[in-house]
Amino acid sequence: MGELLRVAWAVAAKDLRLEFRSRTAFVSALVFTALVLAIFNFARDPTAVSAVDLAPGILWITFTFAGMLGLNRAFGLERENRALDGLLLSPASRTALYLGKVLANLVFVGAVEAIALPLFALFFNVPILPVLGPLVLVIALATVGFVAVGTLMSSMAVNTRLAELMLPVLLLPFLVPPVTAAVQITAHLFSSRPFSEVSGWLRLLVGYDVIFVAACILFFESTIEE
Amino acid sequence: MTPTEPAERALRRTVPWIAVALALVAVVYVRALVCTPVEAVQGPAQKIFYIHVPSAWVAFLAFGIVGVTSVVYLFIKDPRLDLFAACAAEVGMVFTTAVLVTGPIWGKPIWGTWWTWDARLTLTLFLWFVIMAYLVLRGAVSEPGQRARYSAVLGILGALLVPFIHVSVYLFRTMHPLPVVLRPGRPTLPGAMLVTLLLGFAVFTFLFVALLRYRYLLARLADVRTQAEAERADA
Amino acid sequence: MPENGGYMVAAYVAAAVIYLSYAVYLVRQGAKQGRGGSERLGP
Repeated sequence: MGELLRVAWAVAAKDLRLEFRSRTAFVSALVFTALVLAIFNFARDPTAVSAVDLAPGILWITFTFAGMLGLNRAFGLERENRALDGLLLSPASRTALYLGKVLANLVFVGAVEAIALPLFALFFNVPILPVLGPLVLVIALATVGFVAVGTLMSSMAVNTRLAELMLPVLLLPFLVPPVTAAVQITAHLFSSRPFSEVSGWLRLLVGYDVIFVAACILFFESTIEE
Repeated sequence: MTPTEPAERALRRTVPWIAVALALVAVVYVRALVCTPVEAVQGPAQKIFYIHVPSAWVAFLAFGIVGVTSVVYLFIKDPRLDLFAACAAEVGMVFTTAVLVTGPIWGKPIWGTWWTWDARLTLTLFLWFVIMAYLVLRGAVSEPGQRARYSAVLGILGALLVPFIHVSVYLFRTMHPLPVVLRPGRPTLPGAMLVTLLLGFAVFTFLFVALLRYRYLLARLADVRTQAEAERADA
Repeated sequence: MPENGGYMVAAYVAAAVIYLSYAVYLVRQGAKQGRGGSERLGP
C-alpha cells in the first residue's frame, strides 16, 4: 500500500512540476473560468431573477467546464511526447499510475476552483463565508467523483480522433448525479436551509464517489493495457 | 465451399424471423387499437402505453445485455462477445429512440407538455446518451482490441450509472413535484388490457431477439469476409 | 373522455416507422454483403 502511494505521488509530482513550469494550462483555465462567470452575468435578466437563485447552477456549470479543460490536458501531455510508453515500461502498477493522474488532476482542478470561488462570490454577490466549511466539503466531494471518472474517460478519449469532443460526450452523463447533488446542496447552503434537508443528496454524492472511484481503479488497467 | 457461405446462409435464414416478428407487432397493433377497451380517464391516447412500455423494457434489457457481456469480455477477451455487445447496443438504441419518441407523444395530451423530466423518461434519456457515447466511442477507435476494451469499460460504467441517475431523478422530483393535468399513475389493469400489455412484452422481446441475431450475423459475416480476403492477399 | 386519438395514431405510426426502417436497413445491408461489399460492419 505504501509502495502504491509513493509511486502515485511520484507520478502526480512529475505531472504537477511539468504543469507549473509552463503554467500555460493553469492560467488559461483561470481566464476561461473568469470569462464564463462574467458571461453568465449577462446571460440572464437581472430584473426577473435574482442572482442567488441562479448562483448554484452557475457555479457548478462553470466548475464542470473548467474541470473538463483541466482533464483534457492530463493525458494530452503524455501523448505528445509518447511519454506514456515510458511510464508503462516502468515497474509502476497501473493503479499507481491512475491514482497519480487523479491526484495531479485534483490539484489542478482544485486550484482553479479555489480561485474561481471567491471570484464567483464577488461577481454574484453571494455570501459564501458563513457557509464556507460545508461548501468546501461539497465542492471537494463532487470534485473527487468528477476527477476520478474524468481521468478514466480522458485516458480513453485521448486515443480517439476527436479527443476534445469525445471527452464531454463520454463524461457528461456520468456527471449528472454528482453535479445535481452538488447544485442542490449548494442551493440549500446559500439559502441557509438546514443541512438535514439535503442528507439524501449527500448520501448520493458519497455513494457515487465510493462506487465510481473503486470502479475506475478496477477498470483503468483495461484502458491502458497493451 | 467458400469460407463465407455458411455465414451467408445463416444470415439469410434469419430474415424470416424478422418478418414473423414484424407480423406479430402488427398483431399487437390490431389488438391494442381495436380489441382493447379505451381507458376512461386518459382516452385513446392511453393506448400508446402498449407500445411505449414494452419498448422501454427492451431498451433496458439491451442495455443490461451490453453491461453483462462487457463484464464477461473483460474476463475472457473473446472478440465475438465484444461484437455481440456492440450489436446489442445498436439494436437497443433503436428501441430507446422509440421510447423517447412515443413518450412525449403520450405525455402531451396527458401531462399538457411534451416533456416534463418524468422519472422514467429521464432515465431513458440518459440511457440514450450513454448508448450514444458507446457507439460514438466505437466509431472513433480503429484498433479492434483497444475498441473492445474501451467499449467494455464504458458499458460497465454505464450500467453502474443507471441506479445513480434513478436516485438523482427521484430526489429531484420529491423536491420539485411536477404539475400534471391528468394523473396517469399506475394503471390497475383489467384483464383485457393486461393481456395486451403482456403480448406486447413478448412480441417486442421477440423482435429484439430477431433484429439482434440478424445484426450479429451480419457483423460476423463482414468479419469473416475481411479475414478471408486478407488470407487470399497473403497467399 | 378526452378526444386525443390523433396522438395515439401519431405514436403508433412513429414507432412503426422506426422499427420498420431499421429492419429494412438491416436487410439491405445484408443483401449488400451478399453481393460482395466488405467494409467492417461492426458498430
